[in-house]
Amino acid sequence: MCGSYPIQLSLFDGVRLPLMWYLMQSMRHLITCLAISGCFWLATGEAADPLPRISFNRDIRPILSENCFACHGPDGGKRQAGLRLDVRERSIEELESGATAIVPEDAATSELLTRVLAPDPDTVMPPPAAKIGRLSGEQVALLRRWIVEGAKYEPHWAFVPVTQVDVADVSTVALNAPAASDSTSPTAGNMSPIDRIVVSKLAKRGLKLQPQADLATLIRRATFDITGLPPTPAEVAAFIADSSPDAYGKLLDHLLASSRYGERMAADWMDLARYSDSYGFQVDHKRPMWPWRDWVISAFNRNLPWNDFATWQIAGDLLPQATDEQILATAFNRLHSQECEGGSVEEEYRVYAVNDRVTTFGTAFLGLTLECCRCHDHKFDPLSQREFYQFFAFFDDIDEAGLYSFFTPATPTPTLRLLDAKAVTALAQAEEGSAEAATQLAHAESLARDRVAEWIAGKAEMPPPLAIATSGNVSGEIARYSFDEREADGTFASLLDPDHPATSPTENTLVENTIDGRTGKAIQLTGDHPVQTPVGNFVRSHPFAVSLWLHVPDRADRAVVFHRSQAWTDAASRGYELLIDGGHLKWSLIHFWPGDAASVRVAEQLPVGKWVHVAVSSNGSSKASGLKIFVNGHVAATDVVRDSLTREITGGGGDHIRIGERMRDHGFKGGLVDDFRVFDRAISALEIRELAKQGTIEAAIADAEDAEMLGEFFASAFDESAAKQRKLLEAARLSHDALAEQSQEIMVMRELPEPRMAYLLDRGEYSMRGESVEPNTPAALPPFPVDQPRNRLGLARWLTHPDHPLLSRVTVNRVWQSLFGLGLVQSPEDLGSQSMRPEYPELLDWLAGNFSHAGDQGGWGWDMKRLIKTIMLSQTYRQRSIAEERVMADDPLNAWLARGPRYRLPAEMIRDGALAACGLLVEKMGGPPVNTYDIPESFKPEPAGTGESLYRRSLYTFWRRTGPAPVLESFDVPKRVVCVAKRDATNTPLHAFVLMNGPQFVEASRVLAEKLLIEFSGQADGMLERAFELLASRQPDDEEREILLRMYAEQLAWYQTHPEDATKLVAIGGTPAHQNPSAVDQAALAGVVNALMNYDGCVVKR
Amino acid sequence: MTPLHTADSQRPKSPALPGFGGCHRLLGRREWLSSFGMGLGGFALAEMLGRGGDALGADSGVLGGVHFPPKAKRVIFLFQSGGPSQLDLYDYKPLLIQKNGQQLPESVRSGQRLTGMSGNQSSIPLVGSPFGFSQHGQSGAWMSDLLPHTAKIADQLCFVRSMFTESINHGPGVTFMQSGSQIPGRPSIGAWLDYGLGTDNQDLPSFVVLVTKNKGGQPLMSHLWGAGFLPSRHQAVRFRSGGDPVLYVNNPAGVSVENRRQVLDGLRQLHEHQFAGTPDAEITARIANYELAFRMQSSVPEVVDLSDEPAHVLDAYGPDARDPGTFAANCVLARRLAERGVRFIQLYHQDWDHHSGLPNGIKRECQQTDQPAAALVEDLRARGMLDDTLVVWGGEFGRTNYCQGHLTPGLFGRDHHPRCFTIWMAGGGTKPGTTYGETCEYGYNIVKDGVHVHDFHATLLHLLGIDHERLTYKFQGRRYRLTDVHGKVVNGILA
Repeated sequence: MCGSYPIQLSLFDGVRLPLMWYLMQSMRHLITCLAISGCFWLATGEAADPLPRISFNRDIRPILSENCFACHGPDGGKRQAGLRLDVRERSIEELESGATAIVPEDAATSELLTRVLAPDPDTVMPPPAAKIGRLSGEQVALLRRWIVEGAKYEPHWAFVPVTQVDVADVSTVALNAPAASDSTSPTAGNMSPIDRIVVSKLAKRGLKLQPQADLATLIRRATFDITGLPPTPAEVAAFIADSSPDAYGKLLDHLLASSRYGERMAADWMDLARYSDSYGFQVDHKRPMWPWRDWVISAFNRNLPWNDFATWQIAGDLLPQATDEQILATAFNRLHSQECEGGSVEEEYRVYAVNDRVTTFGTAFLGLTLECCRCHDHKFDPLSQREFYQFFAFFDDIDEAGLYSFFTPATPTPTLRLLDAKAVTALAQAEEGSAEAATQLAHAESLARDRVAEWIAGKAEMPPPLAIATSGNVSGEIARYSFDEREADGTFASLLDPDHPATSPTENTLVENTIDGRTGKAIQLTGDHPVQTPVGNFVRSHPFAVSLWLHVPDRADRAVVFHRSQAWTDAASRGYELLIDGGHLKWSLIHFWPGDAASVRVAEQLPVGKWVHVAVSSNGSSKASGLKIFVNGHVAATDVVRDSLTREITGGGGDHIRIGERMRDHGFKGGLVDDFRVFDRAISALEIRELAKQGTIEAAIADAEDAEMLGEFFASAFDESAAKQRKLLEAARLSHDALAEQSQEIMVMRELPEPRMAYLLDRGEYSMRGESVEPNTPAALPPFPVDQPRNRLGLARWLTHPDHPLLSRVTVNRVWQSLFGLGLVQSPEDLGSQSMRPEYPELLDWLAGNFSHAGDQGGWGWDMKRLIKTIMLSQTYRQRSIAEERVMADDPLNAWLARGPRYRLPAEMIRDGALAACGLLVEKMGGPPVNTYDIPESFKPEPAGTGESLYRRSLYTFWRRTGPAPVLESFDVPKRVVCVAKRDATNTPLHAFVLMNGPQFVEASRVLAEKLLIEFSGQADGMLERAFELLASRQPDDEEREILLRMYAEQLAWYQTHPEDATKLVAIGGTPAHQNPSAVDQAALAGVVNALMNYDGCVVKR
Repeated sequence: MTPLHTADSQRPKSPALPGFGGCHRLLGRREWLSSFGMGLGGFALAEMLGRGGDALGADSGVLGGVHFPPKAKRVIFLFQSGGPSQLDLYDYKPLLIQKNGQQLPESVRSGQRLTGMSGNQSSIPLVGSPFGFSQHGQSGAWMSDLLPHTAKIADQLCFVRSMFTESINHGPGVTFMQSGSQIPGRPSIGAWLDYGLGTDNQDLPSFVVLVTKNKGGQPLMSHLWGAGFLPSRHQAVRFRSGGDPVLYVNNPAGVSVENRRQVLDGLRQLHEHQFAGTPDAEITARIANYELAFRMQSSVPEVVDLSDEPAHVLDAYGPDARDPGTFAANCVLARRLAERGVRFIQLYHQDWDHHSGLPNGIKRECQQTDQPAAALVEDLRARGMLDDTLVVWGGEFGRTNYCQGHLTPGLFGRDHHPRCFTIWMAGGGTKPGTTYGETCEYGYNIVKDGVHVHDFHATLLHLLGIDHERLTYKFQGRRYRLTDVHGKVVNGILA
């Protein structure tokens, strides 16, 4: 017996595991040899041996995991009595109480047995308070035998490397030929490795494979499985007529080459990726993520190797010279729900988003339920809370907001701009145009400065404008509020233009200036009431400046001095703003905070308790370098906070400058503001100094010393040539920005320049930061490769290593599930210790090992189509789906594989199949989602689409998380709020309503009826036979023909006496009915066609 | 229904004794099931033991019965979405009137996080209720003038003034109240009940949702009545106020009942023929489902048709009762569904989210809900159904004792407040004429007998005869409950 693992190391021992990992690699061949002797996985024959040796993984781990690990398992925080039962060394050591839980080979003194058998509720285990009841007698007996046999442990099967199974040796097991002996039955000759494994195990149960399904059933099964659509009657006939030995293989190749394959496969992946066309949560606005969906379809269709498929989605942005396509793939990580409800805490939802990325990664790629470890160590699997946050650290390094914008349609950052070739060229040209104009302006300004320099050097006359330049007259000013006086109507007049007053609630009061020698009055702000001006809706290419005096009562963590925007988080701060941030001035232009913004922050703190003159300007470049802050007339040294502005800063509401208050932000409570002035040009440093101290300009000209400052002043305020070039530059930028605005964006991953520090969060609470953690993978899994970066790309490399124990198993298991309706491991989302042990672990490993290994290692190099074809070529897949009654009853889920797959078709296939059969399906790939007939019936209704929108494949149906299409929901699609690896397949009366009464199916029935009436000139036999062929993919037998004829006769009789009903029925749906054939004929035949849509042979894959 | 149904697939409900001879027999089929190795999820067992398939057929759920004799057989939950102001309805705080306009003392707030809506306000003035309060009934329950009808049934009601929750926003808050988790994805209360107890009615679903029509306010999401990770058949059927009460329940234009019957008979023949050659229980389940669907086509329209209700009954529910989709009409419908054995009837009434303009807003909502809710309780009592029908009235959280935005006389708003709110229950084994729990004189903190949402859920299940710790479902390797790993039954409100 070599059923126990050859290495008796604890898998859960973090120190020794890496050693084991490498050891396992080197022992691969040895293990193979052991395995092929037929007993590594095959364990023991239940039928042959009445008392097989105990296998820890098969017999004991489930009992301990289910009943004991919650208190005596990996979670150190909850461990009781110091007893740990998931690790042998710990379980056999003496406890503080003096007892020993497990004494190998000595059942009588093993406390474990004593306690599970104890009659006393105070001592029995599990304790009654756990409410999981007592162990069964059978379980106790297993535990007893296991202890007697030495209490051997094995690492959990899914965490050890995939074993290479040599299936040639499986054939040494006597092959039981199936019952029938026709040519379609499995024989030793046509058995695939899959069949050898299945047959040898079935034999131990005294069972055999079923004969192959009849050819019509087989082609229907295969066509649905690969394309999601039924075969046409012609395809069925051709397949049946093809007697060549490789007819079936050719069929599979043909189907796999169809672009419908990608659409069928994408639907499954969209469940895992929690794809939706809306943000989710309560408000649930729409969001266009469909370019990612189209990428998935295309990736399947060109058979992108699965390791690349995974890598691009996890870390495409980090690949060297990443292409747009590779970056687009990372949208996978952004498909989680997002919140914008007013007042939500941004960090709470940012943490939610990162958690969701981690758990989706865990479910989709690792088949592990990481969710548990968010709040505490995993109770069953060797995964600690710390390790959860080590994963977290890989996924939180993007410049994102926790919330999306309620007031603007901005795409939450980071984003990828989606451009076609034409747009790329146009944008590049526009950028070039701007750059050229900027060079021209620089040149003109340089000439202007030279004139001033020459004058100062005494080599030339003073440029004439300087001679008449006077203090206090700064050009380009568009508004000035002195706050010295409130008008009778409560407003503040602009000193430049009485028609543009500022307004303010009276809570903001005017106070007499008594400090720092300033005179007149200033306005004192409550922080909750704004001063509203009528100016300031500048686009980002427009240079502008704002000057004001301010007085800060105390050091503010955050205070809005002034802004042009609707709101803070609710509008992603769209606009521009001057904030006090941690006591520092911060000046920003923002499209979407934080990822699409230019922002600078003064290095020094703003003085408190005194008047300060502050001016800010933007030169229209959209760069952080174009943003300046002046304090008391001097340009302040600033740090760049963000320099990633790529889109417009207008829109979203709040079009004009407001002072002292912003929706749901911290206002400028207690602050004083005076002499607020707005300029529609980026005024020069000298002018700003003039605003801070009157007379500066005249003095500077008189001194004629500061060539730099005077030169800039002259070039900025007076030089005509520079002014002309400035206008040209502004126009060039404006047209560039307009182009940039047109392009669509999609949320993707883009790494921050500096990784964010991640923390362990106590009880998973966003606000309860514990120790900091570095990106890393769990100790129970292979070690992180030393030559890879500690980022998502390194993580993807770790994951896609051919010897990783999970990715290949998880993937082939899900593919198996999609073909058989049930995975080899029945919980595709959890291969951890709480999962049900697979019936055919060696089959899982044979597929996984081949799938993940490259061709030169004898594998398939992550070739998905090859994996699918290999499974579908097996006799196991090709069996008929009905077995003897006893087998059906004993194995209702078909875990034994003693028959072929059978299950109710998924939602998309039911709808698409009916549309295809009736000739209504519009096969147009990709693009924005469409509204079907049932969207108006959704919980979040919208009008139905028209024309082709009604007849596209279901994966293009608009998906609103808070109310998906009701027809699809009836057939068990998940809402896609979280990653889902397995759908229900219910069978409920609600299905009858949808299929018999829903307009989609009523319309499809009568459209087909009309076609058949024309094609067969009303001849009943032909019409009914064709309808049956189209919907059930086979010819009806004699009795079925009779039933159909009878139904048709009844329907005809009915509608002949109720012609008005017929008229009503054929009017349903967007496709108009023709006058001929008659409404009565159409309605009657439609009744039969619709019945067939409800027929088992149509909605169930058999 | 086989007695093998237990919440936990691994072992029988009654403790097995050492010796386990009898146990062996009982295990029967489970014996080979467990020979796979790992335990089976509850879903798998239910599917295998034949429940899969007839979603709405009568059965007694995975529990196969209750844990102890239930007081309530069904629940009508009048959910008031948006967070009604307890301070203007039930929780009388004269101190706030005295201190109207003064700042909320830091000692009372004690670091409590405020929402982003009012958290950055520079001033947070207390605001007293402008509505008159008085005591009602033998029990002397305080209620404001906004609730004249509810006041009349004060002695039927059991108030909990000390509810508290964890969420400060609507989406998570409602989700928490309905599923025990703030994040969507867990089964809602009704789904748990359907999973645990099954259905008593062969012609109607056991979990029905009714939403007041044409309401603004915070939107609802269908996951609130979803099945979460439970099989989807446990989710609610939402009856709609316009068109078909159940999606496509009515025959399309041009298809009469007789014609439908003919087609179904033909379809049945096809299925019987198919079954003869392909003996698969899935096919018999399908036949049964089409028959049930046919029955529902009459039972559903019948139950939603209020035309057979006597005028005096409709009058009692108020002027809206004849207008389908209003809260009043939904209350009548709830009673009709309860009469027909529907186990969990969930009403939603939106628009209690009064951040500003509270005085007018709350008046409007009370006008729409006060009379119907009171009439429902009275109607149930008159029919002898109140004893075993639990009626619950309440929202997802309370509202602050301070004003959101600017406090001007007669006009104010209140922000979300998770620390305390009031709900009431009637019938179903709750103690009538009781007020449980107490808040501080500022109406900000609980000072006595706090009831967490998990406790409320535990108590609700208890009244239905279920030990909340024993109604579990294994998902992703973990056993889940409605109450997560928390919750204790509130004995003080049990009759």
